[in-house]
Amino acid sequence: MSFKETDIINIVIAGTAGQGVITLKRLIEFASQKAGVKRNFGSEMHGLAQREGAISSHTRYQKELFEDDRKNLYSPLICYGDADLYICFEPIEALRRGLFASNKTSFVLNSRTIPGIMITANLESYPSLEKIKEILNGYSNEVYFMNATELSLNNFNTNQYVNLIMLGFAIPTSKIPFIEIEHYEEVIKEWLRDPDSNIKALHLGLEKGKKIINSAN
Amino acid sequence: MLGNEALVRGCLEAGVSYVSQYPGTPTSDIGEYFHQVLIDSPETREFLIHHWAVNEAVATSSCAGAAWTGCRSLNPMKHVGLNVASDALSVIALNGPNPGAMVVSIGSDPGSLGSHQEQNERFYAWMLHLPTFEPHTPQECKDWIKLAFELSEKYDLVMNFRMSTRSAHSRGFVKLEPLVKGKAKGEFIRNIPKFNSLPPHAINNHIRLYERIEKLREAIPSLGVNKIIPGENKIGIITSGMPFGYTMEALNQLNLNDVPVLKLGMIYPLNYEEIVDFIEKLEKVIIIEELEPFLEMKIAEIAHDHKINVEIIGEQYFPKYNEFSTGLVATCLANIFNKPPNEQMKKAIDYFNSYKEIIPSRFPTFCSGCPERATLYAILKATNHLENTIISGDIGCYVMSFFPPQQCSDLVICMSGGISAAIGMSTKTDQKVIAMIGDSTFFHTGMAPLAEAVGYNSNVLLIIFENSWTAMTGHQNDVLRYLLNKGFSIEDICKAIGVSWLRVEDSYKPKKLVKSIEEALETDGFKVIIIKRECGLQAHRWRMDQIRGLEREGKKVQDVSYFIGGCQMCYECARVLSCPAIRRVETDGIEEMQIDQDRCIRCGVCYEICPNGAIRKSIINLFAEEVPFREL
Ligand SMILES: Cc1ncc(C[n+]2csc(CCOP(=O)(O)OP(=O)(O)O)c2C)c(N)n1
Ligand code: SF4
Ligand code: SF4
Repeated sequence: MSFKETDIINIVIAGTAGQGVITLKRLIEFASQKAGVKRNFGSEMHGLAQREGAISSHTRYQKELFEDDRKNLYSPLICYGDADLYICFEPIEALRRGLFASNKTSFVLNSRTIPGIMITANLESYPSLEKIKEILNGYSNEVYFMNATELSLNNFNTNQYVNLIMLGFAIPTSKIPFIEIEHYEEVIKEWLRDPDSNIKALHLGLEKGKKIINSAN
Repeated sequence: MLGNEALVRGCLEAGVSYVSQYPGTPTSDIGEYFHQVLIDSPETREFLIHHWAVNEAVATSSCAGAAWTGCRSLNPMKHVGLNVASDALSVIALNGPNPGAMVVSIGSDPGSLGSHQEQNERFYAWMLHLPTFEPHTPQECKDWIKLAFELSEKYDLVMNFRMSTRSAHSRGFVKLEPLVKGKAKGEFIRNIPKFNSLPPHAINNHIRLYERIEKLREAIPSLGVNKIIPGENKIGIITSGMPFGYTMEALNQLNLNDVPVLKLGMIYPLNYEEIVDFIEKLEKVIIIEELEPFLEMKIAEIAHDHKINVEIIGEQYFPKYNEFSTGLVATCLANIFNKPPNEQMKKAIDYFNSYKEIIPSRFPTFCSGCPERATLYAILKATNHLENTIISGDIGCYVMSFFPPQQCSDLVICMSGGISAAIGMSTKTDQKVIAMIGDSTFFHTGMAPLAEAVGYNSNVLLIIFENSWTAMTGHQNDVLRYLLNKGFSIEDICKAIGVSWLRVEDSYKPKKLVKSIEEALETDGFKVIIIKRECGLQAHRWRMDQIRGLEREGKKVQDVSYFIGGCQMCYECARVLSCPAIRRVETDGIEEMQIDQDRCIRCGVCYEICPNGAIRKSIINLFAEEVPFREL
């Protein structure tokens, strides 16, 4: 699917607190600014310090505006069923935020699960990855998994680069249009600590993502 | 920029020189941005002061004090903060902020995204006569807060800049204007009739307040904050703030782009002609606003007073609770305009409902190694899982203990409501009553009920979490830390107030703590246990910094870790303590608990409590330097 410049692009990023959801959201927004996007309005969750809750954010942008201003982007929240892309750092979070998905949605998911305390306590159960995939396939065929946590641990000895790997993974879906790799790199250099590792993570995700997505299609 | 960031930028463009606030979502990060400015641009320190106040009432009065010396002051607070500050604000609004200017910025929270309740605090605008802005985009946040300061100064009115969790944390592009240096020093000029509202001045100030409001009301059309998106439809919409965005997208979705929309940037006061001009051409006006009808009541009144024959609707079609969204507004509008619902949306909702039951919960919970969680563990053990025991909870991280599996907070009212409720409760029941309070809450409003509990020797055990941070709202480096670092001691305060049964405990020594709680509960009268242990998240950060520092110097440090071997699956660590660093794994069909080394902060509590001795401690480099958590 290719986008028109006036299309409103809708991206859901979901994960658990501390995984870097907000950082990735901002990175895409800053990069969109570098790419000359005309309007940008998105929403992020703030507030609780704790590390364990579910976190999600909405990124929305429009490369060019419609002349009829009524058709443009006005709300920082995506409408139900209107998301183009889900980037999920934890698989079950895709389902938790499922309201925004539809047959036009692509999903990229980190396959590493983070079971909550209720799962550990065996008071609730965590569905299998197959089950999650099956449900998401009820929306669309574009459901891709990658173990980004493992990739991050193997390459950097920490899970801190999951978010950049996931960004790289998402790019080959073509659902983040009008933003080029250079724009991300520029923002990473200006804004993130340790830009080299972050850029490396982005490319790792991108290469692996291309393979996963191409082999599926 | 985020809405809150833009608001701070606007203040700096307006020459604000004093800010005081008590933290609370969604306003806490306003203070954090000011602190960043003070760090990044040292020249601002010449004039700009930011205080983390002990509570909202203190913050509000200090902002008035600064304004009364001729400076511009900002006073952010969360919606419930206004309940605390309203006593002070009722007088300040009456007297007026001149010769300076004062803006309160209320962070409302429709949908209770970061609060313990949901309320429509807009009604304070009527009661206290606070002219109120409601921005929609970050650009409006920046531009209008500047305007708010000008108007405050010009009309001698305390202005209200009403943010919401959504507007505060939505991000968009913002065009900047030059910064303006605020006043470093002002001067208070004696004016007893203005600043001392005792009779007869109270009435004069009240009369003056009406005059000031009426002048502003006349000026509204010239401010350019209200705007009309024209259309030919005989049904029109009046809305403001975030619901405006949802409305525009919903109208576009429903192909209703001929509906005229009046977007109000200022929701109190309203300019009568502006409203009349808009509604008199219409047959029906839909008011779209979150929570209880506020605009709707006033607009219906204006229509009635001006004998305009127009139907005003809103609350019967829209919910009076929770946050709105484009989807919700579209659904309600489809209903009003008799349009079929959007297919894509309907499908999305139906499909989601078909599977949502299988999604396991992921509620916010204490961090790994949190000393508050360990305390709750001890309470559960000491009371045989709360047998005949009531936990009168309060607001701080420990509020999360109401979630399963611990479920240790039977009620929550407001900051320091826990100990207060316990005082009354303990006179009327023979059940054991335990109240909890955090250190920031203790300073906020906790000392007064403490004194009362001592005075009546209430049969209550009060647990005070001295974790040395206002943790829940994001660890503001507030007065609290300043006081505690200065050797200010909650223990000494308790003693001075007259607490006779007092223990200081450490929840990282859970067994000893269990004994203390048991003893306390066997003793009649008022008892206090102070849990002195730094917030786990911060303690871990600090310790990791120390370790990295030592390693950089080439020193060897002890490498402590905990691991599980021979797990009997008794679930003590998972259900009673429930540390999130512990996970259940299955290898070759055998279930056992495992510690996630990434997430474990090495507090050792699970090691202390495992009844099977299955949790082991390993120390690599035993003879190297040990880096313990920092002592408070
Ligand atoms: C009147 C009011 N102001 C602000 C808040 C926001 N708030 C919720 S919890 C909290 C911090 C409590 O800190 P503390 O008592 O030290 O507990 P901790 O989070 O550190 O455990 C604050 C400021 C509120 N709920 N009510
Ligand atoms: S932020 Fe601190 S006090 Fe709050 S849950 Fe985490 S460790 Fe506990
Ligand atoms: S030592 Fe045990 S209780 Fe403490 S953080 Fe690690 S796993 Fe959790």
